[in-house]
Amino acid sequence: MLVKSIKTIAGAAVVLVLGCGSAMAQTLTVSAWGGFFEETLAAEIYPGFTEETGIEVKSIAQPEDSAWMTQLMAAARAKKAPADLSLVVDEVLIRGNEVGLWAGLDPANMAGAKALKDGYIKQNDEGKAYGVGALAFYTTFVTNTDYSAEAPASWMDLWETKWDNKLGIVTTPNSGLLEVTAKTFFGGYEVMESREGLEKVIAKIAELKPQVSLWYRDEGQFQQALEAGELNAGLYYHDVAMLSIWDGKPIASTFPKEGGIVSDAYWVVPRDSKNVDAAEKFLDYMSRPETQALMARKLGVFPIVPREAMDLTDEEFASVGSDLEPIRVQTHVHLREGDWLESKYQEMIAR
Amino acid sequence: MGLVPGLGGASVIRSDRAATGLVSLFSFAILAVFFLIPLAFMVVVSFYKPDPMGFYQVAFSWENYAKYFSSFYLNVTLRSLWSAGVSAVLVVVLAFFAVLAIVDLSRRWQLFWAVLLLSLMCISEVIVGFSWLILLSESAGIPRLLEVLGLWDDPRSLSPSFGAMLIGLVTLGISIVMLILLPEAANRDRSIEEAAQTLGTPPLRVVFNITLPIFAPTLLALTLTMFIYLIGVFVMPTMLGRPSDWTMTVMISDKALGDANLPLGAALAVAMLIITVVVMLLSTMVSRRRLL
Repeated sequence: MLVKSIKTIAGAAVVLVLGCGSAMAQTLTVSAWGGFFEETLAAEIYPGFTEETGIEVKSIAQPEDSAWMTQLMAAARAKKAPADLSLVVDEVLIRGNEVGLWAGLDPANMAGAKALKDGYIKQNDEGKAYGVGALAFYTTFVTNTDYSAEAPASWMDLWETKWDNKLGIVTTPNSGLLEVTAKTFFGGYEVMESREGLEKVIAKIAELKPQVSLWYRDEGQFQQALEAGELNAGLYYHDVAMLSIWDGKPIASTFPKEGGIVSDAYWVVPRDSKNVDAAEKFLDYMSRPETQALMARKLGVFPIVPREAMDLTDEEFASVGSDLEPIRVQTHVHLREGDWLESKYQEMIAR
Repeated sequence: MGLVPGLGGASVIRSDRAATGLVSLFSFAILAVFFLIPLAFMVVVSFYKPDPMGFYQVAFSWENYAKYFSSFYLNVTLRSLWSAGVSAVLVVVLAFFAVLAIVDLSRRWQLFWAVLLLSLMCISEVIVGFSWLILLSESAGIPRLLEVLGLWDDPRSLSPSFGAMLIGLVTLGISIVMLILLPEAANRDRSIEEAAQTLGTPPLRVVFNITLPIFAPTLLALTLTMFIYLIGVFVMPTMLGRPSDWTMTVMISDKALGDANLPLGAALAVAMLIITVVVMLLSTMVSRRRLL
């Protein structure tokens, strides 16, 4: 009797394990920046992929870029992949590729990716793709309209004294503020090519210090303070600012005449993922113009396929980006001068 | 350990000792696994080289420590010692006088305060920080209240500032110190104080000339404990302080997590550990000499 029931239980356990195993093969774990972003992707974007392919997507939240990079590296040492696909900014993409963190994908299996603008499929020497463009996002000049009715025309306005010591700026040097300063005051990014030049740019940013009351690490703190009027203006993500605006908050997100700051995000497959085939199907789906347009509408991010390929209206397009030549984070400078630049920047802020 | 009491005899004492030894060996093992090994790992990593493309390279280099001896980090060290020192003294002074007042209350009110202080200790640092952030904000907090009362024409947010950070640090430490002081103050021998009062010494002089000296060693130990505790607090400086108030803890987490430069973060942490221990030893030596 007892033996029999043990056998039954064991049998059931085997069925259960096998069942889970076959279900696992059809599940793709996808990580994205935690919070609204990851939640919206899971609720609005991934279901279409599951419907088409039958592959379930398990969405997980990932922390801020360098912390996530550290976790991915520790996992790779243990030959594990915390996710089958992960959303990373180009700096992490390049650093990870340098140490062989990403799996190589076959571009032939991702027909949809052909729709992407040039340069968004990052290939190694063997023709394998280690990163596929996911989306772009803007950082803009945001203001609280209760305190500043007029939209700022130029990034130069940030340096004016009218902000009443109520600016909020990101603490990290890769926020785009270095590039904004270089383009606005030094005639372009060339000044960032030498350390002397970078020091000049940092000194210009230091002039903002008396005006800045919050050097933020945490987006939530900035947004809450801006909505409450504790801050009057600052640098912030355009997509999140738009959500606040649609929510009726007294906020404006402006693209100054020098352009908004644009950053690219890529999908990568960690080297030890067992689901490369499914990941390729996922990237095929995510790169299509229809999906890119859907992400623009639901997430407020900037699409990376040519505008003609999508059915976005002018109004929809204007709400996620602008036609102005954007300011681009000079990733090669940040990679080359990483440690030195981070120390200089931090010392400027905290001195 | 688990023996029938009252049996006596050498063998019982011996096995008792063995059991005690076993227990202390166990606690030492726990300490080694969860404290000493991570500490040793931190010291080892502090000599590694940071790898801008990856994590770190195994090496032996003094480079990270050399970076510590720049004017910037030395300045941050001084500022960390200063803010932890000032807030530790504030915590202990405020807690001491508050406790003296509480122990003179009725039993019921004493209990009320004890429960209140215990519940304060349950609140996370982040919540305490956020509460102060709101209380000091110009739109919802004390400044706004002062404006409504007509006491402040042009209210401004009181944080971030050094004062706001101190308030946060004091809130964190004060319930712990008060709970430690409460039983000692309630059960103290009051005969000398009463004698002095009977002879006509004013109450305030009794406190300063008699009660305070009696408590001096305890207060000193508490100040040092608070100093160590508060120097490691991360949330209050980032949330309530200005960048020029950020302490070493903030810099360490910026380096180790933000910039993924674990070796420099580890070196800064080791340097800070050494300095804290030295400061503590020095102050214990000085105060012992003075108290004796």
